[in-house]
Amino acid sequence: MALPHIFEVTWPDPSKLGADSRSAALLLNEARETFASHLGMRSDEIHFLGETNLGFHLGINGLMSGQRRLVYSNIDRMEVFAVAAGHPSKMLDVDPNGQIDFSELNNGDVLALQLCNRETGIIQAGIPDGPDQLAGLFVDATASGTRIKLPANWSTALWDSTSWAGPSGLGVFAVSKNANWSNPLPHLDGRVNPGPASLALIVASALAIDSWVADEKNLASKIAAINSEIRSYISSNIPDSDLAPGGADHLISASFLYVNAEQLVTKLADKGYPVDSGSACSSVNMQPSHVLAALGVLTQGNIRLTIHHAITFEEVHAFLDILADTISELRSE
Amino acid sequence: MILDCLGKRCPLPIIELAKALADESIGFKLTLLSDDPASQPDLIAWARMTGNSVETSEANTFQITKLAK
Repeated sequence: MALPHIFEVTWPDPSKLGADSRSAALLLNEARETFASHLGMRSDEIHFLGETNLGFHLGINGLMSGQRRLVYSNIDRMEVFAVAAGHPSKMLDVDPNGQIDFSELNNGDVLALQLCNRETGIIQAGIPDGPDQLAGLFVDATASGTRIKLPANWSTALWDSTSWAGPSGLGVFAVSKNANWSNPLPHLDGRVNPGPASLALIVASALAIDSWVADEKNLASKIAAINSEIRSYISSNIPDSDLAPGGADHLISASFLYVNAEQLVTKLADKGYPVDSGSACSSVNMQPSHVLAALGVLTQGNIRLTIHHAITFEEVHAFLDILADTISELRSE
Repeated sequence: MILDCLGKRCPLPIIELAKALADESIGFKLTLLSDDPASQPDLIAWARMTGNSVETSEANTFQITKLAK
């Protein structure tokens, strides 16, 4: 279904009567089933959010009844830090590989767990096997998407539609039927999300996740090969470089000593390569990436690469040569 | 020797530090003043990457020892 057609069939309100609304309701149900099957849950556990980051508030605060303690890690998203500020909480440290030390997690805690770090690709290898009686487990799957399965004891979970190359502006939020969750937002009925998310985006994202999952296995080996190509090129050809530990193959974070990241990102953009950065000089609040700092990785001259599934090895080689040239240009200025 | 980089943004403090150390011999010490929020994590990473030493003596004050060419 092409996008203009999706907008033509998704304008009616699926909750109203009438033939148009009934077909819209069918589309919504089909989409819900699609997400449920790819994300591994029941379709009535799935909810859609027009504001993806609202899911951090819903997912964590909905589990925080009583005087429970929230446990999270120092490489979590800032949205988790913001929620933690309102509760008794404990921030766990990571080792130099980005693996969380869970030794201070207790029974009765609520754990916020990031499956994959969106800056570096770090994947948590071990979900805590110590306390088996967590009061709740919020899973941040915004960067892992369909790549990593939910842990069996999940309570709430959040995905970002862009992680399976779907449209931005849509979050997929899930509340397990086994979770002890209550809606932290003002509400009069049993609805989980505060308002209807765009049905057009929901349908487009369901189509995207279908084709993403169909291609995922075929593309995985190519993306893994490109990842190791980029990593070995940077470590052997660009002096004074510092690669952040990784995990998910589509993400790489690399820093370069004596380089101004803002200039590097601008020059690369001028040459046709849009990359992100975790350096202070390229961030809105002028603070370096808290993820890089927690890992002990250099924060200056940082770039974050996302490997697009359609990229070719030729394009990667061309980019790497330009990256090396640009860095030596900037260092000699 | 004191290298005053107060008010300078990353990566300038570390670039100026590298220049100041370039012609000095092993064992040379200097005090770097920097209030850039990236200096604390980046000086530790710089020391690890280049084989030099850094210690934070007080806020915005870093004791540097050259240990590698």
